[in-house]
Amino acid sequence: MQRTKPSLFSRLVLRVALVLAGGAAVLMTAAWFYARAAADEAYDRLLQGAAIQILDSLVVEDGKIAVNLPPSAFELLGLARRDRIFYRVIAPDGSTLTGYDDLAAAGAGKEHALNAPLFETSRYRGLQVRLVQTSRAISDPSIGGWAHVLIAQTTEARQVLTTELTTRALILVTIMSLLALAGTILAVRYSLRPLDALGDTLRRRDSQDLTPLAVDVPRELAPFVDSINHFMRRLDERLKLLQRFIADSAHQIRTPLTALSAQVSLIDEEALSETNRRHLDRVRNRTSELARFTTQLLNHAMVIHRFDSAQLSPLDLTDVARKAFRAAVPITIDPDTVVSFEAPDETLTILGDGLSLREAIVNIIDNSLRHGTLSKLEVRVVRRGDFGLVEVEDDGPGIPPADWSHVTQRFVSSKSGEGSSGLGFAIASEVAGALQGALSFREKTPQRGFTVVLELPLMRRDGL
Amino acid sequence: MTACRSLKPLLMLGVSLLAAPDLARALEGEQTVFPAIATEQTRLVINGATDVDAMKPLILDFQQLAPEVAVVFNDYVTNDLFREAESACSKEAAYGDVLLSSSVDQLVKLANDGCAQDHRSQETERVADWANWRDEVFGFTFEPAVIVYDGKRVPPEDVPRSHVEIAELLRAKPDVYRNRIGTYDVRVSGIGYLLAFHDALQAPTTYGRLLESFSRADVVTRCCNSEVLGEISSGRLRIAYNVLGSYAYAASRRNPDLRVVIPRDYALILSRGALIPKLAPNPNLAKRFLDYLLSPRGQKVAREKAFFFSEGAPLPPDVDGPMSLIESGVGRPIRIGPALLAAQDQATRERFIANWSSLFSPPAP
Repeated sequence: MQRTKPSLFSRLVLRVALVLAGGAAVLMTAAWFYARAAADEAYDRLLQGAAIQILDSLVVEDGKIAVNLPPSAFELLGLARRDRIFYRVIAPDGSTLTGYDDLAAAGAGKEHALNAPLFETSRYRGLQVRLVQTSRAISDPSIGGWAHVLIAQTTEARQVLTTELTTRALILVTIMSLLALAGTILAVRYSLRPLDALGDTLRRRDSQDLTPLAVDVPRELAPFVDSINHFMRRLDERLKLLQRFIADSAHQIRTPLTALSAQVSLIDEEALSETNRRHLDRVRNRTSELARFTTQLLNHAMVIHRFDSAQLSPLDLTDVARKAFRAAVPITIDPDTVVSFEAPDETLTILGDGLSLREAIVNIIDNSLRHGTLSKLEVRVVRRGDFGLVEVEDDGPGIPPADWSHVTQRFVSSKSGEGSSGLGFAIASEVAGALQGALSFREKTPQRGFTVVLELPLMRRDGL
Repeated sequence: MTACRSLKPLLMLGVSLLAAPDLARALEGEQTVFPAIATEQTRLVINGATDVDAMKPLILDFQQLAPEVAVVFNDYVTNDLFREAESACSKEAAYGDVLLSSSVDQLVKLANDGCAQDHRSQETERVADWANWRDEVFGFTFEPAVIVYDGKRVPPEDVPRSHVEIAELLRAKPDVYRNRIGTYDVRVSGIGYLLAFHDALQAPTTYGRLLESFSRADVVTRCCNSEVLGEISSGRLRIAYNVLGSYAYAASRRNPDLRVVIPRDYALILSRGALIPKLAPNPNLAKRFLDYLLSPRGQKVAREKAFFFSEGAPLPPDVDGPMSLIESGVGRPIRIGPALLAAQDQATRERFIANWSSLFSPPAP
């Protein structure tokens, strides 16, 4: 039992989907980092702007430093609508001028350029905040040193902006990934189509047809097709060899068989006892059966050989059928059997090989006489549309429809065991197939007997 | 009603002005209890820096909807309310279920320091953007700062209709109006400070000129709306500047001689704030009350019985002012938001008050 592996399609799509999902995850992580950086950048500027404004509002009056908080600084910070603000203004002497005096920057103690703003993400009063510290040198002689402004703002607006930007990126990445996946599915389907076509061609192929495949396939499939063709050629060669061997054997058998028949006919029956005479009868019957079978084998080989080589020519179907009828109905036929031949008024011309076709019809009639006919055999040539039909009807029991499909195979006959010849219908069917026709059966009805129909396409009037 | 140093004038005024004889007089720091209509099941504690008489119709109407609720209203002055709330917050103690204050900057500061809890509902969605910060501080009224004058003593040609016109009137007739103009004392009144601070922001030049004129005309500064209004009624003052529209209109209804003018150059609009403390003992009830205040029903009661002005409705009759405050661009709402933290800053406040005080010497009365 062949183990079914996942289809090429699902393998490809699954792998591409995995790559896309991985890519999307990487992109989303990057997008989140970018969004956070962008949000920080945007709101850091507000924070820094506000800090600068507050720093600028520091004035020295009467040797004392004073702060006059500009509301515009808070309005600037208020652009982050929901965020809470904590601030502290530190005088050069370290005292808190105003604001929350427990607010401090963790990095303030470390060395950093005092005139550059210091940004920090930290916690204040249990809240996550972004903190900026800006400093300014106070150049009044009485109060020398650096004054600092610290502003901390909660990060709600930043988080909202980050989420919003990330969500948008997520939507874009999702759409792109889905498009890419859809594109991949289409592309894979399209790329695998030649494979389906090849399978189709092979499936539709006649079982007898061993000619090389003639399909256009992509470069990648060419070696595969070449291998198939190579294999078929070898198979074809072997088959032909086998057929030649059978034909040769049949031919070789015929000669001793003829001698055997002659010898049997020379035996003096009178001198034999009753029992021996019965045995002799059996020998005679078996010999004639063997002779007929050998002939059929030869005919079969001949038919195949002729279609391989012979040129087809226009034939009068009625003429061929009549000749076959004469050849098939023996002179020694039971006089009680009614045989008839019905010809059409018009000439039905078909394109074919006379010898093979006659052999086919002979085999059908012969089969009918041997296995079917009780007292009546009718052979008719009729026209139906663009087809010429040779119908062989008998009053026998017929072949049950269940057997129709395999009686046309070699070495099968309707009544297994008794007088099995098997090749009759096989030859007829092969000839019909070679001439683009068909061999079919019509079931027995109260009005009509079982009929075998050989259907062949008529040659068109223009002669093509 | 805001900070008053002495209770005596207010008591007097209360008797003469406020017509609510059936109710215990609410004074700063005093408690008024509104018993439940039905059997009392819960108790809502409101700590307000808002005149209990203004809140009374709202509380009574709320009790119609919630008959099982008894309401306790503690009336404070703004600065006391803020101090109490701040210390309760830092000690993690409960301090009422709802805080109401006209000094919204103080409420914003409380919310900024994490002393508020947020509340989101269908009703809070309706609140204008400028009157809602973090879903924690909600403005539930709409009160323009107005000019009030005594119709009997101020001739029509002298009626000031803008900030500049007051300054010009005082320059043209300094003697007539000397000692006859009243306004808030920003040192005592939180709301007075807030309005003055925003005046200085809105029109620094005009406000500078105005202050200068006030200084020359020996302006009379008082702690509270009611006191200023009372002195106009009694004939001592003729014009009052920066009175909250709701109080001014209520007074003008009682005394037809008082006329209300909304300045036509710009008018500051204050929205009284409400906040639910983080540690409110009864937060769900507080949210229910807040929803009521913001609901169309509560807003209607506020417009008709308590605060008289509202954002969507036309001006009340007899108010001299532009047809529509917001659309004309005259109304300048004081946005409830972090910008108010600048007003709340200790150093800034001290500096502003020092500057202001230096112009008014010696301080009255």
